[in-house]
Amino acid sequence: MRHWHETIAIARRILVELVRHRQSLILWSIFPISILILIGLILAEGTKISTTEAFRVSAPASLVGAALFFSCLGGTISTIVAERESSTLKRLFISPLSGISYFLGIFIAYGCIGLGQTLLVYTVAAFFDVQFSGSLILGAGIILLSIGSYVGMGFLLGTQVARQIEDVNGLVAGFGVPLLILGGAFFPIAFLPPPLLLITQFNPIYHMNQALLDVSANSKDLSDPDLILHFRFLVGFFVASIASGWLAYRRMLGQERRL
Amino acid sequence: MLTVQNLSKYYGDRSILQDVSLHIPQGEIYGLLGPNGAGKTTIINIICNLIQPDRGTVKIDGELIGDATKSLIGIAPQDNLLYKGLTCWENLEFFATLYGLRGEARTKQVRSCLEAVNLVDRSHSLVGVLSGGMVRRMNMAIALVHHPKLVILDEPTTGLDIEARYEIWELIGQLRAQGTTLLLTTHMLEEAERLCQTIGILKNGHLLVEGDLAKLRQVIPAEEIVFMRTTAEKNAIERARELGFTERHYGNDLAFWLPEHKTLVELVNLFDGISIDSISIQPIRLEHIYIEITQAAQPV
Repeated sequence: MRHWHETIAIARRILVELVRHRQSLILWSIFPISILILIGLILAEGTKISTTEAFRVSAPASLVGAALFFSCLGGTISTIVAERESSTLKRLFISPLSGISYFLGIFIAYGCIGLGQTLLVYTVAAFFDVQFSGSLILGAGIILLSIGSYVGMGFLLGTQVARQIEDVNGLVAGFGVPLLILGGAFFPIAFLPPPLLLITQFNPIYHMNQALLDVSANSKDLSDPDLILHFRFLVGFFVASIASGWLAYRRMLGQERRL
Repeated sequence: MLTVQNLSKYYGDRSILQDVSLHIPQGEIYGLLGPNGAGKTTIINIICNLIQPDRGTVKIDGELIGDATKSLIGIAPQDNLLYKGLTCWENLEFFATLYGLRGEARTKQVRSCLEAVNLVDRSHSLVGVLSGGMVRRMNMAIALVHHPKLVILDEPTTGLDIEARYEIWELIGQLRAQGTTLLLTTHMLEEAERLCQTIGILKNGHLLVEGDLAKLRQVIPAEEIVFMRTTAEKNAIERARELGFTERHYGNDLAFWLPEHKTLVELVNLFDGISIDSISIQPIRLEHIYIEITQAAQPV
């Protein structure tokens, strides 16, 4: 129960500050919608598929690529770096707050934002007659695994790589944009040359994207072999991200636990 | 309330603390003084269980420090570690939750802390828009929000104007009156003199002296100090030595310790024949004792 109260307090604090600043929330709303519309229209025109089909393909990519990546990964990095810069992290270390609650608080805060973005992306996609026809539970599971993976990676990068708030943009752009392109977030991987296609197989964003695409099309369970492969990769990446994020957090505790 | 025994800390070969022991009884204010790098913050870090000592123990209320003692301590760090994007109320509510307060008890405690630091009318103001003095008071409110048994104030008035400083001093006085035990680190000797029952002076990781002001005063075997400005400094010092006064330089000021009280007229007569630009008699203050102990004031 103690952990729960602490977790909610952390999540609430992050959300209150984000709502108060507004700017990030507005950008995190505009960006995935604009990417969805742009990719949908480009695909429809470039590949001569129907607009509905183009938006059906681009909705998962816009969500896990454009939306969740920048909010959950970039947001987590920003939160940790901002806490470190303002030294409020030290005050948290003095308090009885547990590391698990801190991690879960950030996960819940960005989970809320991620779920909001999911609703936004699929609401806009619905205007183009896109329907989520697969298992909603499976879809929600994939989205939560993606959010968890991004938050875990955010902990790793925020605690070990980004030293100040100015580093966040460079890090997200330098590390993230190539991954997004190779993951099919901005255009289908069919456009990629064969050597890059090979790299794609090891790109978690590609598996998040494909898993959500398969489920949103018609998968009601995990019987499709392709979906199983994507799902397994995603679970493995989720576990690895959480573990590395946790280890990085523990390492930061040793470095930062000083007034 | 707080017992520190034989605390030692090393970073590599460098000794940060060397066998430091101190005790603060319930309801007392202990002033820990020392120049920068003396080891004050290291002691605080150890008390807060942020770093481990290489030797020695710290007990709070008879309990060895650890995760369980975190809620017994409230700390107002030197840097105001607050969320500027939250209001005063939200900051207090957030930290109260982390310290296990819930529901009505939390609301009551948040309100009472805001009253204590005189910020009720700014409850819903963002911390980022408060003045320096208000922010410092909020910093103290956070330290008090969970009713700690020991409150640590790390240079609580540094950088504040005189009005804000008086407000903080008044608040510290109120805390003591309520029976709160406080550990105060400060560079302002006037602050320590005014507030603390016991003062410890730390330098290079050693606790050089500890005691109340009366005990510390014994470091300077004199009644008063006379400050003199003269163009004939050498002659003045020679005369002072003949008279049995001990000479010191405090910054650019030449000073003599007076073993017994003298009036200004008597002093001027004693220094007859020496051109004196100005002369004044001052009581012995903590700053003179501090300089003597930390040996910043070298014999002339």
